[in-house]
Amino acid sequence: MSEGIGTRVLRKEDKRFLTGKGRYTDDIVEPNQAYAAFVRSPHAHAEINGIDKSAALAMEGVVDVLDGHQLTGDEIGNIICGWGITSKDGTPMNMGAWSALATAKVRYVGDAVCVVIADTKAQAQAAAEAVDVDYNVLPAVSNVLASMADGAPQIHENAPGNQIFDWEIGLKDETDAALAGAAHTTTMDITNNRLSPNPMEPRSAVATYNEAEDHYTLYTTSQNPHVARLVLSAFYNVAPEHKLRVIAPDVGGGFGAKIYIYPEEITCLWASMKTERSIKWTSTRSEAFLTDAHGRDHVSTATMGFDANNKIVGFKVNTKANLGGYMSLFSSSVPTYLYATLLSGQYNIPAVYADVQTYYTNTVPVDAYRGAGRPEASYLVERMMETAARELGVDPGELRRANFVQEFPHQTPVIMAYDSGDFAGNLDQAKAAADVAGFEGRKAEAARRGKLRGLGYSNYIEACGIAPSAAVGSLGAGVGLWESAEVRVNPVGTIEILTGSHSHGQGHETTFAQLVSDRFDLPTDNIQIVHGDTDKVQFGMGTYGSRSGAVGMSAISKALDKVEAKVKKIAAHVLEASEDDIVIEGGEVKVKGTDKAMGWHEVGLSAYTAHNLPEGMEPGLKEGAFYDPTNFTFPAGCYICEVEVDPKTGVTEIVQFTASDDFGTIINPMIVEGQVHGGIAQGIGQALLEHAVYDDDGQLLSGSYMDYTMPRADDLPFYNVNHHSTECPGNPLGMKGCGEAGAIGSPPAVINAITSAIGNNNLSMPATPAKVWAAINEVSAAQAAE
Amino acid sequence: MTKVSMTVNGKARSAEVPDNTLLVDYIRENLRLTGTHVGCDTSQCGACVVHVDGQAVKACTMLAVSAQGSDITTIEGVAASKNELHPMQLAFKENHGLQCGFCTPGMIMTATDMVERYKAAGKELDEQSIREELEGNICRCTGYHNIVKSIADGASKMNA
Amino acid sequence: MDMSGEYRIEASIDQVWAAIQNPDILKAAIPGCEELDKTSDTEMSAKVSLKIGPVKAKFAGEVELQDMIEPTSLKIQGEGKGGIAGFAKGGADVQLAADGDETILTYTAKAQVGGKIAQLGSRLIQSTAAKLADKFFANLKDQLANT
Repeated sequence: MSEGIGTRVLRKEDKRFLTGKGRYTDDIVEPNQAYAAFVRSPHAHAEINGIDKSAALAMEGVVDVLDGHQLTGDEIGNIICGWGITSKDGTPMNMGAWSALATAKVRYVGDAVCVVIADTKAQAQAAAEAVDVDYNVLPAVSNVLASMADGAPQIHENAPGNQIFDWEIGLKDETDAALAGAAHTTTMDITNNRLSPNPMEPRSAVATYNEAEDHYTLYTTSQNPHVARLVLSAFYNVAPEHKLRVIAPDVGGGFGAKIYIYPEEITCLWASMKTERSIKWTSTRSEAFLTDAHGRDHVSTATMGFDANNKIVGFKVNTKANLGGYMSLFSSSVPTYLYATLLSGQYNIPAVYADVQTYYTNTVPVDAYRGAGRPEASYLVERMMETAARELGVDPGELRRANFVQEFPHQTPVIMAYDSGDFAGNLDQAKAAADVAGFEGRKAEAARRGKLRGLGYSNYIEACGIAPSAAVGSLGAGVGLWESAEVRVNPVGTIEILTGSHSHGQGHETTFAQLVSDRFDLPTDNIQIVHGDTDKVQFGMGTYGSRSGAVGMSAISKALDKVEAKVKKIAAHVLEASEDDIVIEGGEVKVKGTDKAMGWHEVGLSAYTAHNLPEGMEPGLKEGAFYDPTNFTFPAGCYICEVEVDPKTGVTEIVQFTASDDFGTIINPMIVEGQVHGGIAQGIGQALLEHAVYDDDGQLLSGSYMDYTMPRADDLPFYNVNHHSTECPGNPLGMKGCGEAGAIGSPPAVINAITSAIGNNNLSMPATPAKVWAAINEVSAAQAAE
Repeated sequence: MTKVSMTVNGKARSAEVPDNTLLVDYIRENLRLTGTHVGCDTSQCGACVVHVDGQAVKACTMLAVSAQGSDITTIEGVAASKNELHPMQLAFKENHGLQCGFCTPGMIMTATDMVERYKAAGKELDEQSIREELEGNICRCTGYHNIVKSIADGASKMNA
Repeated sequence: MDMSGEYRIEASIDQVWAAIQNPDILKAAIPGCEELDKTSDTEMSAKVSLKIGPVKAKFAGEVELQDMIEPTSLKIQGEGKGGIAGFAKGGADVQLAADGDETILTYTAKAQVGGKIAQLGSRLIQSTAAKLADKFFANLKDQLANT
């Protein structure tokens, strides 16, 4: 079948996006709709002395101005962090209270204090300016080093020294001993720059309370509407689950920023009840920079030890992570279980130990952004490997090869049990595709043009499809990380797949249909994917962490097993044959080796007319499944970046970027390549351009596209994307996940290439022309001094 | 309030709007043509690009009253008919030049304008020109790889 | 943000000392100043309209003169709220020295901005502030020349 697994099927969802008929949250208009505008703190840290709403309330079109005391008075609950982390000393993490509208204190610039509801957007914005909040401004801290310093301003009463937790993983004594006995050690201080996720569609919510039915509907820009409903009900007390419908319609990108339930959705739902109006709020980009959860922001020190044969004997890491002013939904898991568990990289390391301290600062909360913890790990490990190779005077690719894990399953010292992979195969494929053999010639040619050319490797591994639920529960997760699916075969034979996954650019409507097409040999046109509406779809866990293939599609596959079994039973009964002889192909259900057959649609009709079903069989043809994986999946690969640096200006040009990825089974290579392209672009963005910068007083200085450098088309090359796959043994489809790999693997490759080109390893992300120029001149100055 | 009248996607449209109404808000809120998107508030992202009298314009940089009497084309009006795609739309589909779809309408409006301008000037629209011309359009999903390919393909389809 | 500057003013040190406490002269000299009222010997309230990069806002603020050592030095402390545009606050140490018939004014200032002005205009604040300071002292010279 031409539309099955492994086929480049063009996307089913494209037409509506190409013709302007996509339906995003801000496109939705409800009857009797009013608009919300939030009054936000301009101070990073301040007590609220009082709020004067009188001028705003008197303005034209203003329906109401609501504050945090009214919100908490209605028993709307505080915003939660869904993953509990236990410190070294056995104490739980120090979670500070976070009300959707601040009551006594604001803790970052952008913290919401009031909401203004008015008839038009312009009226709401104008009235928000007229709300006079009297602040007692407090000293603020914007980075971990300032936050942990003696005498630093205290952000939450229950977090002394601003520390949230002090956590550890791995083998401390063994690692110390290994490093003490190492023939060579490499030590580095490494920072991972703070980023703003920037999906192109800003967050938005349309909330409607129906008084007659005591029922709420929320349209929202969410990656996981089902989890949003659960949390809004169980923790924020907005409405009981059966009285709340959450719909995430077309969503314009997520990258992690749309996983969380933010103050605005909570407030809009509550305000709809208070005002008996539908409430629409759409973030401006300026608000998005201030309030969408940021990513990364780690400061680490790491030491790696090698024996005389260049085998790694131990790896020790200390990381300090900035979690912002409050703990966002998954913020605690990112610098711990999503990060330190990957510090063994692709390598056989007998002893690994990491400890991580997290701190509050007066900045927007930091949570998962594309890769979430794994980019931090791969950046650390792969910068260390490249640096160690330079120090040891060996080829960086070969140092990696000498340390690759080669036998599977492989238990690392940091929880993970790698199930499959061929790391040397990925290295070889990437080296061939990047023509590493010809690099010296290209470098010499570039030198004749006055350019510094460099090549850098990154051999990343990551973990997707966080699972199984019991295991993540034991590590502190507040949710199970399975996925659900329902397969409905209609009486006319068309099929609807109801999935708990959510597509916001990933192309599920196509790839999920391909899975069904592959199983039943039907055209994808006859298959519809339904997602994103809690009234239509059973509970599910949503899309993040590259989980929709390995977990979401596995759930569909399990439900398809049940449908297939029932179809075969019906056909065997009607055609008077044995179930074992029934085959499904070409739109028919046939008895193998005979001309006896039913049309696929006839089986559906038989199931629903129920005139002639096997004895005891229930009518209908609809099956569901919940799939809980047995292990994480481990996508891995090798990225090779080649750059040219202009020593006169410090400008870096990426002249070649080569990827060899192992994603296991690939359903649609076109879509997978697109995911890799986008991931690499975000990784290059982190490496060269992007940086969310707060000043020492906690003011965000990179708060618009004039100051936060998003990668543009002319910053980026074409990418050379290749696949070398090993099947994942952990799920029925053999899939590993591809959504985050590009962002995880690419930053170290870029920085390794630049530092190689300029001959100075002292370079942090983003490697802006100013920084690269300074690093080049640091080398020249040192040489001149000799 | 001022009465504005313009031709939008071939149809005469008019409405009373506050004087400070941006063209993009007029298109989205008054005309309910929601294919034109708003992705920023500093005129950088290009999600709101429409054609005003045949030229690509960021609809967030223009007041509705400034477009009085103009001929506007939005993403909803680029195809020759309801049942077919414009060659540039087709090229984006065939080259997987879109993922979440949010920047896509602006990309297509910029792309068709780019092709027409280069054609009129007799210049070749090569890869580097396409990348430079996309300076005012931000995409967060695709890494631009397939967008650049789509525009090159769309250019040959439009010039065929 | 730190700033400093030095200006030569063609007026005596006593005239300059008086001028920088005279609400009428200050109102005319401060760029964008719409209102300025003396609320005590050392305190004033002001309304100033400013444009920094893409942000245009009207600031309502209080100004206080401190540590006055006539006629050679004083400290000017101020704080202004610009609604949704954010806030600005800061202080300047001003020194006056007679040089014949003229006066040399030097100052060092520290300023802090927050909210939308910091978010959207941070790149431009240093240059805008320097320009505003130059304009203020040029206006002050003109005012003194006219009196």
